[in-house]
Formats: sequence, structure tokens, C-alpha cells
Amino acid sequence: MTAETGTHATTQVLRAALGSQLIDVAEFRGDLTLSVTRETWVQAATLLRDHPTCDFRLFLDLCAVDYLDQPERPARFEVVLHLYSVSRRHHIRLKTRLPESDAKLATLTNVFKGANWFEREAWDLYGIVFEGHPNLTRLLTHDDFVGHPMRKDYPTSERHVLQHPKERLLKVPEGSEKLVLNIGPSHPTMHGTFRVQALMDGETIVDAAAELGYMHRNFEKMAEVRTYWQIIPYTDRLNYCSSFMNGHGWALAVEKLLGIAAPPRAEAIRVILSELSRIMDHIICIGANVVDLGAITPFFVMFRAREDIYDVLEACCGARLTVSYVRIGGLAEDVPEDFEARCRRAMDSVREVLVQAERLLTRNIVFTKRFKDVGVMDRDNALSYGWVGPCLRGSGVAYDIRKDHPYSGYEQYDFDVPVGTVGDCYDRYLVRMEEMRQSLRIVEQALVKLPRGPVIVDDRRVALPPKADVYSNIEALMNHFKLVYEGILAPTGEVYGYTEAANGELGFYVVSNGAKCPWRVKVRPPCFNIYQAFPEMIKGHMLADAVATIGGLNVIAGELDR
Amino acid sequence: MATRVITVDRSLKPGIWPLVLGHWETLKNLVRTLILRQASTIEFPEKRRNVSGRYRGIHILTAREDGTPKCVACFMCATVCPAECIYIESGERPEKTIEKYPTRFEIDLLRCVYCGFCVDACPEEAILMSRENDLVGTTREELIIDRDRLMARAKLLDVGTGYHPSEHDVRRPVRIAAIEKLKQERGIGNSRPPRG
Amino acid sequence: MPKLTIDGREIEVAAGTTVIRAAQQLGIDIPHFCWHPDLSVDGNCRMCVVEIEKQAKLQISCNTAATEGLVVHTDTPRVRAARRSTLEFLLVNHPIDCPVCDQAGECYLQDQYQAYTLHDARTELEEKVHKRKLVDLGPILLDAERCVLCSRCLRFESEVVGTSTLMFANRGNRTEIATFQNRPITHSYAGNLADVCPVGALLSHDFRFKMRVWFLASTPSICPGCSTGCNVYVDQRDGEIYRLRPRRNPEVNKSWLCDPGRAQYKQIGSPERVAVARTRRGAEWSAVPLAAALDVLAAHIKGAGRALAILGTPQATNEDLRALSTLADTTGARLDFRVGDPELKVRELEDGILQRADKNPNTQGALDLGIARSGVDEIIAACRRGEVAVLLLQGPELLRLPAAGVFLEKVPFVAVMATHNEPALERAHLILPAAAWAEIDGTFTNYQRRVQRILRAVPAPGEARPRWDLVGELLRRLGAPLAATSARELFGEVVRAVPEYAGLDYRVLGESGRVAISVGANGHSPLPQV
Repeated sequence: MTAETGTHATTQVLRAALGSQLIDVAEFRGDLTLSVTRETWVQAATLLRDHPTCDFRLFLDLCAVDYLDQPERPARFEVVLHLYSVSRRHHIRLKTRLPESDAKLATLTNVFKGANWFEREAWDLYGIVFEGHPNLTRLLTHDDFVGHPMRKDYPTSERHVLQHPKERLLKVPEGSEKLVLNIGPSHPTMHGTFRVQALMDGETIVDAAAELGYMHRNFEKMAEVRTYWQIIPYTDRLNYCSSFMNGHGWALAVEKLLGIAAPPRAEAIRVILSELSRIMDHIICIGANVVDLGAITPFFVMFRAREDIYDVLEACCGARLTVSYVRIGGLAEDVPEDFEARCRRAMDSVREVLVQAERLLTRNIVFTKRFKDVGVMDRDNALSYGWVGPCLRGSGVAYDIRKDHPYSGYEQYDFDVPVGTVGDCYDRYLVRMEEMRQSLRIVEQALVKLPRGPVIVDDRRVALPPKADVYSNIEALMNHFKLVYEGILAPTGEVYGYTEAANGELGFYVVSNGAKCPWRVKVRPPCFNIYQAFPEMIKGHMLADAVATIGGLNVIAGELDR
Repeated sequence: MATRVITVDRSLKPGIWPLVLGHWETLKNLVRTLILRQASTIEFPEKRRNVSGRYRGIHILTAREDGTPKCVACFMCATVCPAECIYIESGERPEKTIEKYPTRFEIDLLRCVYCGFCVDACPEEAILMSRENDLVGTTREELIIDRDRLMARAKLLDVGTGYHPSEHDVRRPVRIAAIEKLKQERGIGNSRPPRG
Repeated sequence: MPKLTIDGREIEVAAGTTVIRAAQQLGIDIPHFCWHPDLSVDGNCRMCVVEIEKQAKLQISCNTAATEGLVVHTDTPRVRAARRSTLEFLLVNHPIDCPVCDQAGECYLQDQYQAYTLHDARTELEEKVHKRKLVDLGPILLDAERCVLCSRCLRFESEVVGTSTLMFANRGNRTEIATFQNRPITHSYAGNLADVCPVGALLSHDFRFKMRVWFLASTPSICPGCSTGCNVYVDQRDGEIYRLRPRRNPEVNKSWLCDPGRAQYKQIGSPERVAVARTRRGAEWSAVPLAAALDVLAAHIKGAGRALAILGTPQATNEDLRALSTLADTTGARLDFRVGDPELKVRELEDGILQRADKNPNTQGALDLGIARSGVDEIIAACRRGEVAVLLLQGPELLRLPAAGVFLEKVPFVAVMATHNEPALERAHLILPAAAWAEIDGTFTNYQRRVQRILRAVPAPGEARPRWDLVGELLRRLGAPLAATSARELFGEVVRAVPEYAGLDYRVLGESGRVAISVGANGHSPLPQV
């Protein structure tokens, strides 16, 4: 598509302001993509944020793509920005191209606070220099790493050993009497491996800097050499506390790219298992959070419900944690006959522990003193950082993808979206507790309405044929072989698939060039944006408050670092 | 569509009565675990968790009636494995409809992620997963399981199989007569006793 | 030059071009079984049907000539229905052999099913007709059940090899491919039968069950077996070569490759490879690090002055030979390569098909680069007279001569670059490990004076290096380093040294090579006088 087409209001705003510098407008599978010149990059992003027609205030994702040796692409790199407008309920993609010889771009950190770490990641993995960035250093790879691993000409077999880890993350003024304290990575309060270095004046944190990447396994590079089916077990290991939801999000993104839809029974089962996984994740978040405050009892009490949810998952697919139950186009196989009974048992268990947790916590004076007005995040900063999910809703923004952009049949279910007012730890706790109750409502309705039918799309380019056919006729056998050794061949194009995971908007930006493996997969990890705000949030507050805050953000290292 | 939004209630006041309720819950848990013995904990290894018939445990290579492997070394499992942990070498069999068998079939059980895709990919019902997940070894080499050890595990099927190809698929009408014939002639379905 | 339209796109083609070839030029692939670009048209499979405007019936595009104004549609509902029926009939008796069939991954039935029809089966397994399976025809295995009766193998036998060993036997749905009395295939082009067969009916015995093809990565290269320079693909996985396949080049080998050529890959992974440098003291050989061996050799060369003789090998690439001639120029050494007179055989076709009498891939390149200088007999005579202090051999040919033991008696130091161990190497004092053809980038010039690229497919073993790299290291030690640091750059020097190669570089050579300019009246340029 050329710059002449495209009538969306946003397109017109940008065209009016940029003229021919708006190089291309494209729409594919409902995604609007605007390409601009690198000189107008900051101007375009600012316009998208500030112009009243656009109002794209929620920063989602910024990533780079390497189009090495692709003949139809004159420039090697592309930097891609994803934004969301809460008021207009619209996603947008903004892109620009950079040649290999001059891979530099102006920073967006002055436009969106969340761009900071994303630009560091693009520098780290691709070698793109963001001019004006306050701290363009490696983020996910270690300090002795050489090279830019996501580049297409970086061999996967290369190894770099860390010899000299960076001790100091902060600049400590000369002669200062303040204490430098490492919180993590091997600290029980860090629910996962990540680190914050704090400069302490007594009990108060004067300055803080975060370090991550301890669990970086470069999922995105593996995704470039695995077929769409083979990527599913990798997605389980993103947010491993609610692993089914990652697979659900991945399958939906690929189905969007393919232009197919899973059958209604599959979607309903996906909803049930996703909501149960959401409950599991919230239980971990709250349980672990209060353990840090010294309240161990709710942890033991709440985790009992997780056992029953694991029971449901294990009966469906044979695994508790890393389920790999989704398939592109549906599910691996149908649920067992006692599925409903097991679900109801799990739901009863959850109801029971929610009552207990409520009684142990919500009106407990120690708890409220530790949580109320601690870790406050205001609405505007939250949007600028790219907060989503229960954390964003705690700050008062009622954005829930299940309501605003329903998928998998969520529009049929009746449920409410809880929001907070102050944006403190207490609000986030209350929001999560309420979300669990709402999830129970959804599961109840889905179980009652569960339609009959197949659990995978009847499309021979996508789904494995039934085993009985594979054993008995040549057509199905050939089909099976092609799908295994060649896999799904997605059409050329790019999509951004997004779902409301336990932590918020989990996005998969998938670029395909028609081959059996995707060309690029970028995971939009919700807790990455959330954690990025943490050092700012705790400055000027006490250490104990920082401990209370971090737990409520539900940072899962698997998702944070990928 | 309008989102139904509810604002959470921060106004709940803490006090003495909530503390009493909290302790009451803790006391109930104490009675439940100590006296009624209803703790969730399973005292492993004396007691084991009951897992379902779809459990993705350690693999099994199935056998034909004559004890030779059903596997024909077609490489489907090695191709699909996301962890690249299956190593196969194929050799010739004299039978004209079978022709191939694995001279080597090894799974690196430490690399394996127990996703079950190998079972999904197998066109001969030659590989299944058991309900067993005890993986004990003192060296890495020990935990690379070879063909004969994988076939010896087939006796585990007496207590019930784990992850296996599903029989029920409503996408297309199942040709019952064909399935019955296959069971008689090629032994498909015969190697697995009824699920327990 | 008729102009026709295919799927809405116009193209002008040479008169007589068939629609299927015209479509190929547009990048449109029309599915087919029996059609082959280098065999006659048979038109029996009916898979390549297309819809042509103003013609009532669907036409087979392999036998329809492109005419002016023809409007062709390759993807309409009628075409799709016809393909469906055709494929269904082909599969009616097809055995469910995919798990045990080597063709999986390059099977026309699998590929066309998935790409074009994806239809439901309508036959029961019990109803299928059974035919002979596992018939051993020597280098080729026949499975008659899998055969789709496209007759490609029959046409290959009669048109290319001229032996007509395969025939159709029986009738109706019992028709099978067969040889008379199941006699094995004895000509040396049997491997092509497995290549032309679109399914797993004819399969290579050598490749049987070795590796699934989708694991293999293909690198384009040139067969080093003779001066024809057939184009090949080297198929390897993790550094191990599993087979060679012919690469289509209408000007050199069409789609064919002889069996001895196919077997060329076996030497690459041979246990007899020379991987480390060795030196001899008396009868004792000891391994030495390559750098040390090169130091020793360089010292000898310096001390030899003009008493140095160098013998190139027509097994080496143009880049290797250019480095060698640079060394000869720098040191004023005697230089030649023609042990066994390969230049007399370079054009001689042995079997009337592909194999030539000169079993070296680059005799012509050596001639073009002026390696034929001093004369082999003269060099041998100089050795006998004791005038040669150091003899540097780019390959072991001279050492294999029966008289070598005698005329080398007075040569105090013999160094040889070798890829494989053999008894002849015992006559040398120093052995340098050379990388073989599948392990290097470079060019060979074939009998047509076509310069063709070889590309590195697998890594060389141990310390083995390209021959030009070994010579480059010597030149560096002699204080006259090569300007070029890669095969690509060295080819630039080759082009400067050979006027007929003007305008060539790796990009220009591309996939099918280029014939050097100044071709004489008989189609071949005159060879430089010996």
C-alpha cells in the first residue's frame, strides 16, 4: 500500500503533519502500520501521543527487526513502535528503516518513559544506537558479551563467558557516607532473578538502579529457527506461573496471521483454562508478596487451591506447569470426561481459599499499614511506562483487553473489571482479589455454555490429521508428514497479537516471510514495562516499602528476560 | 461496548474482629492438618501422586507381537522435537512392508522437555509416554536412554499408559470397520491394555 | 516471438516454447509428474493441465506451444478439480510407505498434495492393489507399488543412456516398471534414475536410510571427477556429507551426473584424510604443527635459491594455481603440472554422455594460468642431474610415477600438499594438509573453458587449509606476501593474469559459471601451445 491509501483518522493527522515523510500506510489483518522517515521519528511519536484525535498514550513496545539479505528491503534494520490509545481503543504500529552503515535513531525516552529499557534492549541485541539515550548499555546480555545476538548473521553456537560482572550500577558521589545495597538477584524478595541496587541513607532509598537478564535465554532467536508448533513449549516458559495463557496468546497471534479461527469449543476451553491460570498467577503474586512482609500463613493457605487447578491441567494435557496444550488452530486434544467435575472442584477450592485469604489479610491492621499508600503509581506515569493489567487498573485506568478487544468468545461472558483509585499496593491487592472472583464467574459461565464440536480447526494446512486417518490412508499420512517436517507456512506479513494475560497485555509481534519458521517474534512482556518503573517508584521511600511494592508488581523473570 | 467497571473498596476498616476471624481461619487449618490429617502434602516416595492417563512421563518404545520395535525410524519424532534430544540411526529389515527399524534410538532425558510432541508426531504408535517421572542418575551419559532400555519400559503399560495418541477425534467420521481391521492385522491398539 | 498471458501476466517467449516453460519463466510453478525439462514430453500424468481461453477442454501445459495472444489460467476451479482427480487416481493404490520411504521430503506426491489438493481419501487400505516391493536392481532399488507410471525413467534410459533397460510390464492397474528378468542396472548413470523418479519407486542404494532430506543443507559446487565439471549440490548435515545431487545446468550436464561423480563425496569424510602436517627423518614420520612445518619449508625454499622446482596439480582451483605461479615468479622456480599429460585428454568424451578422459577438474584452468611452463620431463631431468634442491608439489601425482623413487634420489627435500594418505607420500619429506574441494571456495575451469564456482560446504579436518592459503603462508615467510586474503580476492588476480577471463568475478559467475571470452571457430578457444 502506498501513502495514498488509508483513511483512518490517525493516518490523516500524520499525513497532514508529515506530508511525504509518511512513507507508507498498510493494513493487514486489522493492524494499521505507518512508516515514517527516521528524521521524523520523534515528531511522529509525539504527535501520536499528544494529538487529541490520536491520544496514543499507552506505550506498549519498541523493538528492532533485522532484514539482512532480503532483496525487497533496501535498509537492513527496522525499528518498530507499538502504542495504544485507551480512549480511542486502538492499537497502532509506527516504523522506520535504518541502513546497516548508519544504524542510529533518535531516542524516544523524552516522549515515553517506557522506551528507555526497550531501546537498551534493541542496542544490546541489534546494535542500534539511540542518540540521546541517558544510559545506552547492555540490558539482557551480560557485561562481557561481544556482539549483537539477534542479528541474523550472529551464529547461535557462539559463546561468551562472563568474567567480570559489573559491581556498581549506580554512580555514588565521592566521599558519600551512603550505603550501596544490592537487593537481589539471589534474594527471596526478588521473586525471580533480578536485581536492584539501592543507595541508602539510613532506611531510605535515595537512588536505585535495576539490573536484569539473569534469565535471558533469547527466546526470540530460538523462535526464528523453530516452526510455529515447536515454539509452543518455549512460550510455556515465559510467564511460567500461568503458562497456559502464554500459549493461548501465541496461538491467537499465529491464528491472526493465518487468518483462521479456532472452533468455539476450543475457544471456550481456552477461556476456562486461561482464567484458572490467571487465578493461579494472582495467588502466587499475593501469597509471595505477603511472605515478604512476614505473613507466611496466607501463602500456605492459598497455594492449596493451585494444587486443584494443576490437577485440571494435568488431566487435560499431562503436565502441570509447562502445559503445551494449545495448538495453532485449537487444542492438542479434547478435555477428559471428568473435566467439568475437576473444574468445579478447583473452583470450590479457590472460593474457599479466597475467603480465608480475605479474612487473614484485607482488614488486618499490619497488612493495611504496610500496603496502604505505599508504592503509589499515578495514572499518567503508568501509561508512559506502559503499565498494563492489574497494576494499571490499580492506578485507575479501566483497560482490560477481554472487554475492549474481546477474543476467544469473551464477549459472551458476563463479568466486571475492578479498578483502584490511589494506585498503591493495597489497590493492586484488592484488584487482584476481585479479579479472581470475576474469573470464577467467567469459568462458571463457560462451563455451562461449553459447546460441543471439534477442538481444532479443520484446515489441513494447519492441524495434524486424526491418528486413525494417519494409520489408514495415504492422503492423511502425507499431510501428517508435511506438517511435521515443513509445518505451517504462514503468509508473508506481520501481526501484533495481544491477550489479557495475568500481568496485563501480553503481545506477540510476529513477522513472517512465508517460510516455515517466523522471521521475527517479539514478545511484549507486561512485567517488563512494569518493572522498569520500579526504581523510580521507590526513590525517597523506605526499604521495607520497596519490598512491599516489588511483590505486588508480579515480576516473573521468565517473562521479564525471556 | 461499555466496560462494567467496579471500583475496589478501600474503606474497609481494620480492627479487632478481623484479627479474630483471621486467627479462627488459622485454627481451622491447624485442626484440618494436624488432627484430621487433610494436608495437601504427599509423603513421597512412600506415597505417590495419582496422575492421569495423559501424564507426560518418561518415554516408552512399543513392540510388535514378535517383540521387535514398532518404530520404523521414520524420524518424525526427531524432526519435531523442539529440544533436539532424539538421535536415531536406521537400518534395514527384510520384511517388505516394514523395511526399516532403528539400529539406534536414543533420547537425552536431560535435554527433553517432556512436551509430548514426539508422541503426536509418530505415525506408527511406536512411542508413548509413561506415568513415570523418576529420573535418577549419577552421570549425564546414564540419562541418555537407548532403544533397548526404552523398549524394556513397555511393561510399565501394565499399570496404565501416560500420554498417547487420542482415539477420539470428531473432526471426521471415524471409520470403525477400518480401525477394527487395523487392530487385527497390524496390532494397533493391541499393545495398550485398557486404561487404568 | 509469441506473446502470451499467464494468470494475468504477459510474457514474450521464443517460438516453440511450451506453456509450462513459459510459466516457469514467470516464476509460476505448474505441478507435474511426467514432464522433465531435459527429457521428451510424454503427457501421461495430466497433472499440468491449465485452462486456456477459447479452448473448451483443459490442456496439458507441457505439450501446448505458446502462441501469440494465448491467455492461460493456471489456478481456476476447473483446474483445481482436475488436479484433485488426477492426484486421487495416482494415490488410489499408493502404499502408506512414507515412514519407510526415502523420498519423503522431496516427493512430488507429498508436495503437490499439500500445495494444491488437500483432498479426503476415498479408498480403503484393503482395496489397494499390491505390486512387487524391494526389487534389487543393483545401484537402484525398485518399489513398484509406489510408482506413478510417469515413464520418466523409461525415457531417461532410452534418450540419455541409450540402454532402455526399464519397461512397463503387465496391464491396467497391475502395470509395473520392470527390467528384463530383474537384471540389475549396469550402466554408470544409475543414480539419475533415482533423481528423475518423482516418488519413492526408484531409490538410491547408496543413500538408503542414511538421512532424512529435510535435515540436509545444500551447497552448490562442481564435481571434481573429470574435466566436464558437472554442476552439483553437496548435501550435508553438521559437517558430514551424505550425498551429491546433480544441479541443473543446460550448458554443461543438464540434469545428470554420472555414478563415479556421485561417489566423489565419499573421499571427503574418508579416514585417510591428512589432517596434520608431518615431517620425515629417515624412515620416521612425526606430526608437527602446521606453522612449524611451513617455517621449515620456507627456510628450505630460501636456501634453495633457483634450485627450486614446483609442480602444480590440475586438481587445484584457479585460486590455488594463481598463488602457486606467484610463488614461482617470486622465486624464479621451474613450474609445470602436466604429469600424465592431462591436457591431451581434457576434451575427450569417454562414454558419449558426460564422462571425460581427463579425470581432473581444472586442467584448462592450469593451462590458462600458464602453469605449463618448464615441462615435466625437463623438471624430472633436472632432478636426476641433482639441480633441484627443493621440490614443492601441490599434489602427489609426481610421487606416484613408478620411476619417482629413482629420480628423487638426488632431491634433498620434497614437500607435498595432500588431502589423503597414500603409499606414494612416503617419498616426500614434508606433508602439508590440504583442504579438499568441498571444503573451499574457488573456481574450476572446465573443458568448455567455462569458469565455475565451488563453494565451501563443510569444514576441513584438523589443520587442513586451502592450497592457496598454504602458499600464501609461504610467501609471507619469504617476505613477499599475497595481497589477496580470500579466495574471492585471489580470483581478482586470476582475472588480471588471464586476459580471456576479463570481466569475471564471483558475482558474475553466479550459479552457472561463464565461458571465458575469445572462443575460436570450432567453439573452443585454441589451447596454448605446449
